[in-house]
Amino acid sequence: MSMASIIVAIIAFVLGALLALLTIPVLVWLERRTAGLVQDRLGPNRTNIFGFRLGGVIQSFADVVKLLIKEEYYPSHIKMGKWLFMLAPIITFSAALLAFMVIPFADTLVIDGEALRMQPIPVEFGVFWYLAIGAVGVIGVIFGGWLSHNKYSLLGAMRAASMVVSYELPLGLAIISFIITYNSVDFNAMVEFQSDTFFIFLPAWGILIQPLASVILIVALFAETNRNPFTVAEGESEIVAGFMTEYSAMKFAMYFMGEYVAMNTASAVIITMVFGGYQLPYVSTQMLLENFNYFAYTLMIVVPVFVWWMIRFMRRNNRVRPSVSTDSGRAYETKVISIFLVAMAVIVDVILLYLALSPNALATQIAVTLLQIMVFVIKLMAFNMFFILIRWTLPRFRYDQVQTLGWYYLLPLSLFNLFITAIVVVGVNS
Amino acid sequence: MSKNIITTPRYGKSFKDKLYLPAIYEGCKVTFKHFFTNLNDSNAVDTLEYPEEQPRDITERYRGLHRLTHRSDDTIACVACFMCATACPADCIFIEATEREDGKDEKMPKKFSIDTLECIFCGYCVEACPCDAIRMDTGIFSLTGVKREDFVLDKERLLSHKGAFGEEKSCARN
Repeated sequence: MSMASIIVAIIAFVLGALLALLTIPVLVWLERRTAGLVQDRLGPNRTNIFGFRLGGVIQSFADVVKLLIKEEYYPSHIKMGKWLFMLAPIITFSAALLAFMVIPFADTLVIDGEALRMQPIPVEFGVFWYLAIGAVGVIGVIFGGWLSHNKYSLLGAMRAASMVVSYELPLGLAIISFIITYNSVDFNAMVEFQSDTFFIFLPAWGILIQPLASVILIVALFAETNRNPFTVAEGESEIVAGFMTEYSAMKFAMYFMGEYVAMNTASAVIITMVFGGYQLPYVSTQMLLENFNYFAYTLMIVVPVFVWWMIRFMRRNNRVRPSVSTDSGRAYETKVISIFLVAMAVIVDVILLYLALSPNALATQIAVTLLQIMVFVIKLMAFNMFFILIRWTLPRFRYDQVQTLGWYYLLPLSLFNLFITAIVVVGVNS
Repeated sequence: MSKNIITTPRYGKSFKDKLYLPAIYEGCKVTFKHFFTNLNDSNAVDTLEYPEEQPRDITERYRGLHRLTHRSDDTIACVACFMCATACPADCIFIEATEREDGKDEKMPKKFSIDTLECIFCGYCVEACPCDAIRMDTGIFSLTGVKREDFVLDKERLLSHKGAFGEEKSCARN
């Protein structure tokens, strides 16, 4: 254990925790704003600290404060297993959080000949870890529903449990066909495989190599996260609010945040297995390291253009309508954030110019790692966005439709796909 | 008879419908279009920035906050008959009657208060009033306060509300 490996391990862990936890308020905000814009309204945009509203993100932090200081209320009929009743949301939350911890944010960093994995939990059996831990989340839901001593909660928990069982099979089979294709159970090796090309010009992304398995994977992960259109566990119209009926304040918030962490984890798994993970299409890590100065020059153009676009977007949208007389500090906020963004762009450009002009192996490697983390975060957010937009597009499935889809369509299709994959892989290799 | 029957086509039987993914694509097209047009110019979203922009399209039939009307000589129209309090399903009207000194009528309310935290704004008090003394045509749609007492409207407050749609005085008692 060298100094560098310890530092990298700590940084990877902190980064993983931040990516999982800090995205919760951002995702809550994103969900509400997106819902607003899809439905031709605005969504939360008023809460501010010293006039800085950041498009309304502050609202989520205010909600956190509200939930923290809210009264903890326990129904009096819960006598037995009250500690488990309190523990249940934590199980769901931490299962989703732990499942996220095996996702690689960047390629293996080689410092002094020592390979350091950019994973919060540096293991080589990431897929198995995900399958094992990801399925634990529903145990929290079952405990919560059972110990609430409430028929609606019990029904919701049973529905969630049976849905997870039915979708675990197609999910597992789809993942097995990916394992056969990529010839690895290591998430990082999967991403490395996807940086190749395929059919001469297509990027070898899972969605192009294994389209059927990709669709099954995405559908099954939508079901695993209990999000629309698979929200059978908490149908307001049928079973009040499902398993979380008896939960209040922070215990409710744990379930609520668990759903967002699960969504984030599902997005991370999907982009890692299907959409090339932290890689840009056609660009492998080796290529990035060898031609870093070209990438640096490209980035030096891309960053200011992005910042210019961002400032223009802000000037156009961060203002009140002409019919309203008060501005409530929006112009000031736009000015300060613009200056901040320009300063950031200048600093990034100077660093990139320095790296491009005076190549230093270690610095280049770290810069490439940062670039890959950026790509990962952008892809993660884009897929989270997709999750959210699907929620506001599709209506909820009826319970029997959910089961029919799982058992009659996805399971045979995934078995068929596994069969075809095995034949093709054996045929290509022999 | 039979020519009036319209046969609506049933969807969901064709292969494309059963595949379901084209439908998801069509739905996503709609949501994405709304999302990106509104994201591009959020000021074009057809909505009201509420506290700054007030609604200008409140109709005469809108049941706003209550008011007590006046007679043509600016005395109170209410004769404290308790009809409104009796009709009230939420029991939120509290009246104390007293003898009327100005010779207009026999009784008038000494205290008249409406607890708007309990009021369900059904308008039964307005229907029940024989004197057109209580009305809900103020057009006031928001009532804010910091403590419970702020939401109990007393007689002075109810008398101070103005009718928003022209009919200022009581039509029944003059």
